[in-house]
Amino acid sequence: MNSQQTSNAPRVMKESKNKIRVEFERTPLKDRLKARFLNMNFFKNVVVRIFTYVLLIGISYVILFPFFAKISGSFMGKEDFVDVTVKLIPKYPTLDTYKAIISENGYFTALFNTFTLSALCGLIQTFVCCFIGYGLAKFKFKGNKLIFFLVIFTMVIPHRTLQLSMFMKFRYFDILGIFDLLGGGVFEWLRILPFSSINLNNTYWPLALLSFGGLAFKNGLYIFMMRQFFHGVPDELEESAYIDGSGVFRTFLQIILPLSVPMMITIFLFAFSWQWTDNFYTTVFFTKTGMTLMPDIVGVPATLDTQYAAQNLYESAIRNTCGLLILLPLLVMYVFLQRYLIGGIERSGIVG
Amino acid sequence: MNSEAKLTKAGATKKRKRIASLDARKARAGWVFVLPFVLSFIIIYLPIVIDSIKYSFNKIKIGQGGGYTLEFVGWENYQEALFVDPKFVQTLTSGIQQLIFDIPAIVIFSLFIAVLLNQKMAGRAAFRAIFFIPVIISTGIVDQIDQANTMLDYMSDTEEGINDGSGQNATAEILSAVDIERLFENMKVGTELVDYVVSMVNNIYDIINRSGVQMLIYLAGLQSISPAIYESCSIDGASAWETFWKVTFPMISPMILVNAIYTVIDSFTSQSNTVMTYISSVYDTAGGNVLSSAMSWIYFLIVLVIIGLVAALLSAYVFYQKRD
Repeated sequence: MNSQQTSNAPRVMKESKNKIRVEFERTPLKDRLKARFLNMNFFKNVVVRIFTYVLLIGISYVILFPFFAKISGSFMGKEDFVDVTVKLIPKYPTLDTYKAIISENGYFTALFNTFTLSALCGLIQTFVCCFIGYGLAKFKFKGNKLIFFLVIFTMVIPHRTLQLSMFMKFRYFDILGIFDLLGGGVFEWLRILPFSSINLNNTYWPLALLSFGGLAFKNGLYIFMMRQFFHGVPDELEESAYIDGSGVFRTFLQIILPLSVPMMITIFLFAFSWQWTDNFYTTVFFTKTGMTLMPDIVGVPATLDTQYAAQNLYESAIRNTCGLLILLPLLVMYVFLQRYLIGGIERSGIVG
Repeated sequence: MNSEAKLTKAGATKKRKRIASLDARKARAGWVFVLPFVLSFIIIYLPIVIDSIKYSFNKIKIGQGGGYTLEFVGWENYQEALFVDPKFVQTLTSGIQQLIFDIPAIVIFSLFIAVLLNQKMAGRAAFRAIFFIPVIISTGIVDQIDQANTMLDYMSDTEEGINDGSGQNATAEILSAVDIERLFENMKVGTELVDYVVSMVNNIYDIINRSGVQMLIYLAGLQSISPAIYESCSIDGASAWETFWKVTFPMISPMILVNAIYTVIDSFTSQSNTVMTYISSVYDTAGGNVLSSAMSWIYFLIVLVIIGLVAALLSAYVFYQKRD
């Protein structure tokens, strides 16, 4: 470049009072392209890019393929499962599977019940975990470390371990033996209440109560995430609020909460969708006859005749269709909220 | 109000007292914030845990009137789980072995993907959205449906080489395994490693499904590394490979610890793992509910030991950047 410039130096001409024109010979396009594209660095970049994209697209395929397979399977008529030539594109497309599941397995009841339950639990858990996480992150008090350890402890215990006792706890619900005492369980003369315990199963109460305490499914993780997020919020914000005369709770409500909305949406997304697909708590606390929830709709409807050659395949396709119907509302929500999921996590600064 | 007015006029000793009282007030506010957890931990969770331990030492009978009676049997349930039950110990050892192999795979894979997704490139948002779908979806009931999914196997039969997991996809599995085995034989590395990689490839769907949250945590960690460090590296002429090992890796190492522990907890408590499935199948048999309590306490102790080991092992290597 330099040598070229010296050989045919740019000519400067005065065009008018305030304008000059510079004429110089540009390096020919061919040479410029050569300098830009025919070097090792560019080549290496291209190879890395191609490798990255192939890998990412490949893994995306692995993630998405089951969905495509399930979707195509859900539209297949029963003839398609016998026909060996049919793989992904159905020859006898039909909506019978959907119709049968929606009408016979009580899809809309399940949808309504599960939506109420998940929205209730999701909202309670989001706020409660935000509250607890803030307390753990921003206040130094005796027992702070201990409580954080207990939060981790609730995460580590497999919930199967507590299955029986959770069922018992809410089947014969009692607060520190008070109902038992007042119901005449301890002293016969002290019978004030007509019962000695309440059966809370088959209602929303067990999960709502667990959510209120930050003890429900994976709440330890949410509290941990919230705590790390609040660690990243500078103390100066609150200090200036305190100096301006705002109390602790007002500061929390008016300054901290608006800040943490993206993180809270992330938590809500987790809480809502994990509660939505959950089949542990729903089987412990709910019986199928008591309340129809999403996991209960998985089954083969009676009107669909599956008694022939490709029975396994057909029944599996029906179950997958049930799965798709369960996921449909979640997917719609995910499409709208996923940018918060990623943005919220990035701002969380979950650093050790 | 009155006392405050007095305090402002008081001397230095009173002033110190006032500062202490502000701290005390903040401490009290802190307690109020964590109160819901503490209260319900004491009222609900602790009794549940204690009951669960108690049940594992008892036999339980549900009466007609809605009550239940307990009969203390000592270590009998534990003995039955460990020595009488034909399958428990076997499931336990094989399940734990499987998980020990899976955990490094998940931790490494999710780090790899997080680094890829952290680059600037076209379509990054779309890829991220796709990669986090399993976090939301592959849990609970849907996971259960996927466990024995004959339809998916059938559909993916034509796709040679790629196994989309979730079952015995015989042809695809053998194809990919043989290919990879041949590749590694030429490279002259040990057969154990070959087996490990082969099993990883065969389980790729499973691994992707279980590494969503870890990816999010890594991404958050990668975002928090100051770009100035990378800039100075590139000025000093470090290659991307060197930058990864000398900068990214040490800076992300606290996250590796967090993720390793989270992965252990998550895989050990997830319902799709074989031990959990076995325990829940025992729970459903007649009189098996106390036995399953005993089994899961044995399991929990083993999990605790493994978490302790992982934490001790990794925290020796973790690098913490001193932040002002």
